[in-house]
Amino acid sequence: MQSRLLMTLEVAVVGLQKVGAVPLGTRAIAPIAGGHFEGPRLRGKVLPGGGDWTLLRGDGVLELDLRVTLETDDGALIHLSSFGLRHGPPEVLAALARGESVDPATYYFRTTPRFETADPKYAFLNRLLAVSTGDRRAAGPIYTIDEIL
Amino acid sequence: MRFRPLMTLRLNTAPTQNLGIGPRGTRVTFPITGGVFEGDRLRGTVLPGGDDWAVTRLDGLIELDLRITLQTDDGALVYMTFEGIRDDGAPDAPYFRTLPRFQTAEAKYVFLNRMLAVGAGELRADGPVHLIEEVL
Repeated sequence: MQSRLLMTLEVAVVGLQKVGAVPLGTRAIAPIAGGHFEGPRLRGKVLPGGGDWTLLRGDGVLELDLRVTLETDDGALIHLSSFGLRHGPPEVLAALARGESVDPATYYFRTTPRFETADPKYAFLNRLLAVSTGDRRAAGPIYTIDEIL
Repeated sequence: MRFRPLMTLRLNTAPTQNLGIGPRGTRVTFPITGGVFEGDRLRGTVLPGGDDWAVTRLDGLIELDLRITLQTDDGALVYMTFEGIRDDGAPDAPYFRTLPRFQTAEAKYVFLNRMLAVGAGELRADGPVHLIEEVL
């Protein structure tokens, strides 16, 4: 499979909401306060109000369900939603939970973003699938998002 | 981004069910009657009974939503889904890509529960073929 860089996306998480044990696992919601994105074909900021609805499954894998609105530097709004998985060795996950900086190669943090926009300039986003690698930092994740060619 | 081949999946489909124009576009269901899959780490058959619930969107792309059950040659059942898109008007060739996901209870195959994958589809006379790779 071939891919090419679409953007890097950095979001700021504030006030994790730990819902707790629910029928499908352990639910925690990470509200997104903002952020920014940048790539060869688009750049801009993340609007506040999105979130990542995470579910820790019984097998220890964290399912991710991120929804945010992007605003490009020329004013287009883009809806981004992505499913993802995060898992790794217990000591690595514990370090992440403590907010430490961890080499992202030591754990699996991948997502599959999808985009919706009404702006013709960015309609190419409606017509592609993408994959990302995540790097969980203390302030929030940084995603490197590639278009699947 | 790095990828690793997971399997080639060949699907057999029955005549489509053309539901017509619904609120989200033109809906066509492709019943899956069987198929085969093969890769370095797993191989087997596709059980009859799954479907791909496709919708042609207002912008002309086909949005795919597949659910099937795989049975490996050693008897494990694997539930597979994908969402995907098919753009027959893409500049070079049809852009037919999917995001497969798997669920299984079989210990030998739990690696499938822990990965994301991408697929490149091709339409052939005897049914679609998907080249599926693990996202490393």
